[in-house]
Amino acid sequence: MSDNLASLPALRVNGISKSYGVSRALVDVSFDILRGRVHALVGENGAGKSTLVKIITGIIQADSGQIFVGSNPVRFQTPIEARTAGIGAVYQDPKLFAHLDVAENIFMGAYPTTIAGTVDRKTMYERAALGLRQLGLDLDPRSLIAGLSVAELQFVEIARALLADLQLLILDEPTSALTPAESERLFKIIRTLRDRDKSVLLITHRLEEVEAIADDITILRDGRHVATRPAKQINRAALVQMMVGRPIETLFARRQSEGLGKEILRVERLGLVGQFTDVSFSLRAGEIVGMAGLVGAGRSEIAQSLFGIRPPSTGRVYLNGRHVVPRGPNQMLRLGLAYLPEDRDGQGLILPESIVDNVTLPIVGRLAHMGILNRASERQVAAGATATYDVKATSIEQPVSSLSGGNRQKVAFAKWLATKPTALILDEPTHGIDIGSKAQVHRIIIDLADSGLGVLLISSDLPELLAVSDRILVIAEGRLVSEFSRGEATQEKVMMAATQDVRGLAE
Amino acid sequence: MKRRWNWRLSQWEMMLAILTLAAGVWSAQLSPYYLNLDQIADSTRQFIFPGLLALGLMIVVVLGEIDISLASTLAVGSVLFSKFSACHVQVWFAFPIVIVVCGFLGALNGVLVAGLRLPSLAVTLGTMGAYRGLAFIIGSEKGYTDFDDSYLWVGSERVLGDIMPVSFILFVIVSLVVGFIMHFTVFGRRCFAVGHNKDAAWFSGIKVQTLKIQAYALAGALAALAALVWVGQYGSARGDNADGAILFVVTAVVLGGVDINGGKGTVLGVVLALFLLGTIRNGMGLANIAGPTQTVVLGGLLIIGVLLPVLSAVASHIRHFLPRRATPK
Amino acid sequence: MSVLAEKTTPAVAVPRRSFSEFALRLRVSGVLAFLFITGLIFSLLTPQFLTVQNASAIASNAAILSIVAAAQAIVLLTRNVDVSVGSMMGLTAYLTADYAARHPNVGAELVLLALVIGLVLGTINGLLVAYGRVSSLIATLATMSLYRGFTYMYAHGQEVTSNKLPRWMLHSVDLRFWGIPMLVVICILVVTLVATFLRHYPIGRRIYAVGSNPLASVFYGLRIQRVVLLAYGLGGLLCGFAGLLYAARVGTVTVILASGWEMSSLAAAVIGGVSVTGGSGTVIGAALGALVLATIDNGLVLLGIPEFWRMFIQGSSIVAAAAVDVFIGVRIRKALQGQRFARRAA
Repeated sequence: MSDNLASLPALRVNGISKSYGVSRALVDVSFDILRGRVHALVGENGAGKSTLVKIITGIIQADSGQIFVGSNPVRFQTPIEARTAGIGAVYQDPKLFAHLDVAENIFMGAYPTTIAGTVDRKTMYERAALGLRQLGLDLDPRSLIAGLSVAELQFVEIARALLADLQLLILDEPTSALTPAESERLFKIIRTLRDRDKSVLLITHRLEEVEAIADDITILRDGRHVATRPAKQINRAALVQMMVGRPIETLFARRQSEGLGKEILRVERLGLVGQFTDVSFSLRAGEIVGMAGLVGAGRSEIAQSLFGIRPPSTGRVYLNGRHVVPRGPNQMLRLGLAYLPEDRDGQGLILPESIVDNVTLPIVGRLAHMGILNRASERQVAAGATATYDVKATSIEQPVSSLSGGNRQKVAFAKWLATKPTALILDEPTHGIDIGSKAQVHRIIIDLADSGLGVLLISSDLPELLAVSDRILVIAEGRLVSEFSRGEATQEKVMMAATQDVRGLAE
Repeated sequence: MKRRWNWRLSQWEMMLAILTLAAGVWSAQLSPYYLNLDQIADSTRQFIFPGLLALGLMIVVVLGEIDISLASTLAVGSVLFSKFSACHVQVWFAFPIVIVVCGFLGALNGVLVAGLRLPSLAVTLGTMGAYRGLAFIIGSEKGYTDFDDSYLWVGSERVLGDIMPVSFILFVIVSLVVGFIMHFTVFGRRCFAVGHNKDAAWFSGIKVQTLKIQAYALAGALAALAALVWVGQYGSARGDNADGAILFVVTAVVLGGVDINGGKGTVLGVVLALFLLGTIRNGMGLANIAGPTQTVVLGGLLIIGVLLPVLSAVASHIRHFLPRRATPK
Repeated sequence: MSVLAEKTTPAVAVPRRSFSEFALRLRVSGVLAFLFITGLIFSLLTPQFLTVQNASAIASNAAILSIVAAAQAIVLLTRNVDVSVGSMMGLTAYLTADYAARHPNVGAELVLLALVIGLVLGTINGLLVAYGRVSSLIATLATMSLYRGFTYMYAHGQEVTSNKLPRWMLHSVDLRFWGIPMLVVICILVVTLVATFLRHYPIGRRIYAVGSNPLASVFYGLRIQRVVLLAYGLGGLLCGFAGLLYAARVGTVTVILASGWEMSSLAAAVIGGVSVTGGSGTVIGAALGALVLATIDNGLVLLGIPEFWRMFIQGSSIVAAAAVDVFIGVRIRKALQGQRFARRAA
């Protein structure tokens, strides 16, 4: 296995950096992926894993740095180019054609053809069947995509990736929707690839998987490269430590709360088929409850379910003591529950509209006289909010799209708070905004709680959660797995709880 | 003060006004008959009933949807009027009923689009045919011409010294009302918000589905009004009324600066576009340009209207790439 | 094959024939069933229905519509629409008929002329939609009027009467092939050709892909714009041919020839299982849909029911078919999205 040729890495990442405005997604990341090795890429949410993969496969371009395939420097502009060079990726959202069958999906864009130029179906089905069999799949290449299970879709994507002569297969959280048996099948495929001297880059948060199958591990943290080691040399604790280890900013430590008020929100055994199950917690006035967990664990789904976006299938919700059945945002807002979406620009704000229009949208009805807009009141509210939250803008009439991320977030805050809620759910409120605005947002959250609101804070920023929350709930794969009080919570503990394997837990 | 009055939009409207004047000048040159107050006033009739439809369409388009069945709804309205007239029912009694029926047809569109989540193109293509057929079924093949005078008043009478058509005054009033609704009420505000970003609007507590149904119903009701004007103007009612008018209506809305994807547009723009199109049509008519040629011109205007934003985007792209090679990246 | 030994039994049995697949296959058989039932109803209601002569008439009526429905289907597959089909037919028909009237000795190159005109008209649509980024409804609404208007302008109000058309043209459509009208044979051939193209040529498969998942198409490097342009061009070509056939069939070419065919072609396509949201359906289905429409028309005529019921039925069937397709589409989307923790959650 080790001779001069094999010592050339399959892929070398050298000094890759990428920024989006003020936020730096990747900073000078360098490491090698060796041939014939399974390489795991781990890190918290926002560590930069997805960004790195997108750069490698050509979906986005790095600001600086170089990528080498073998000894050749490359710069891919499209995924097709990466594919041609032997690098293919399989993502979580299937990019498949629902109306076509498996074989066509595998070969789309690269059909085997006859002399007449027609699609050589016979060859296509044979090769597809062969490829699928080699993956250990008992799947008829003629079956329609629409009828397949999630696992099978994933395998079809992998089959498609393997179709080209791949040197490096990148898998982005491949087992998140698979059963243990299906995951095992996937691992078998990965091992087969390794035996054939191909490389696999596996992005996963399942640390037990990393332990099971990875040969090398690279840890990213806050966009920086922390370490790349052979898996044998690291244990779980060390791994977690490297993923989160950073000084906690004690700048915004919350002063001890005066005392908590009555219970505003109580959730009992809440569940939504396919998203989360058996979630129970409560929220009191003046309390800030943090909700930690990995991307896809189900935190946003829980919050949105409470807000009525996708009403829960089981469980009960009590708001201000009364039992409610969430049916839609309109209803929940009126009952006093507000939700600030994670997708700030897409779901939280209407970018082309002005600050006034955005801030007052949920309450236009309340401010209006008999259906007629009350522009004076609206401007008053908006001006007040802009001052309170220190939104840096020249005028309240300017479009929100012209504001910085931090200021936009403040406008979003102003909007939801204008509805005078009793309970406020914040979904990644400081995601992608600058440090200064982050501090301001923390201040706002603390002040809100002090004034009697109950706040549920969903965040992937562990220091933030630890600094601001009174309690931290940890969600892993749709279940509430842990709860930590202020005193006992540490970054490592929270991350350990967030990355545990819940599949062994009882139904 | 009109809302959504940002500089670029008022530029558009000014351009429309200028073009209308230019069209007027051109028409005056084409034909000596043009510059006659009586003639001009009378010519406005040409775009009144499509104008009412265009106002209704505008509401739906601002929301981010489309409705091409409005001309067919007008036909249902006109044949319904004929039925009432045949039974010697007074128009002020028939009118509310027809409004309700046409509003219901509009609401049906809304339910299919918002409730069943069907694509609005398919739905209104279908109801365009279905309602047209319905109009024929109600109205029978021959068509009805024996209207009571009370039905004809709105569409045919003139006031103010026998110059100003009643229907024109009606149109102005309706434009003001719709303009008020769209730019000064909660309903209008919510329509714009949904058109811009229906997810964000929903998260903000707007009942998107209800809003859409209301908008479609309103458009249907306006079609009923247009039917009344039609009946008075042409004195007849038949299943094929206004067949093909939808082109004019869509062109007016597009040229009026209403973004076909939703969220942007003003009633003033649509009204100005109607004036422009009406003037052009009037001029062409006076110059004895044949109907079909007029249709070609209309089609061409529609294409130009939709291509304009694309062309300007292309132009700005080109400008982007021109002499800016000062420093390499 | 040793691979069989490698096979691990899945934890959960995977349904081979899921509901969505079943439903998709059902659509085509549904059309046939609908056809059968309609035929049955009409034959019970009137004795004249179930005769060879009548069946032949239905088939002839359906024939030209089936070609136009196929054209519409191709465009629908890419998630677009074409409401200018009638105008394209009309303009082509008039131009070719006029040309034939002026050149009495014209031969088969007339067919070529029709194809070229249709191709050009369709390509204009395609350029507007694919490269001009104009919404397909608006673009084709505009060209619908433009093309029809040009027809009027060119014709100066004249119609081309049958005695000016070449005899071979008029006679060919009357020929019978073992009793089957030539028209029907031609149309079956054309539809089969198109169906073969869509099914067996990579470009044809790309038409399906683009409509099925535009995002993935970009990802796979499928060059959506070219595909859409091709779809419209091909559609125009077919409409041109259909226009010529129609001229040959009716003999007298007027300027309003084929107005209203946009509605019929759309109805035929969606009845035949072509989804308005793109990606699914076949031209054979569209042709069958044309047959259904022709059968309904025929039955209505025989029963003495006024013609405008047809408009009502066509319009309602478009809505109904769209509803069915969205229903199926929702199932497909749900299946594709999968569920995060499918076997663990409540």
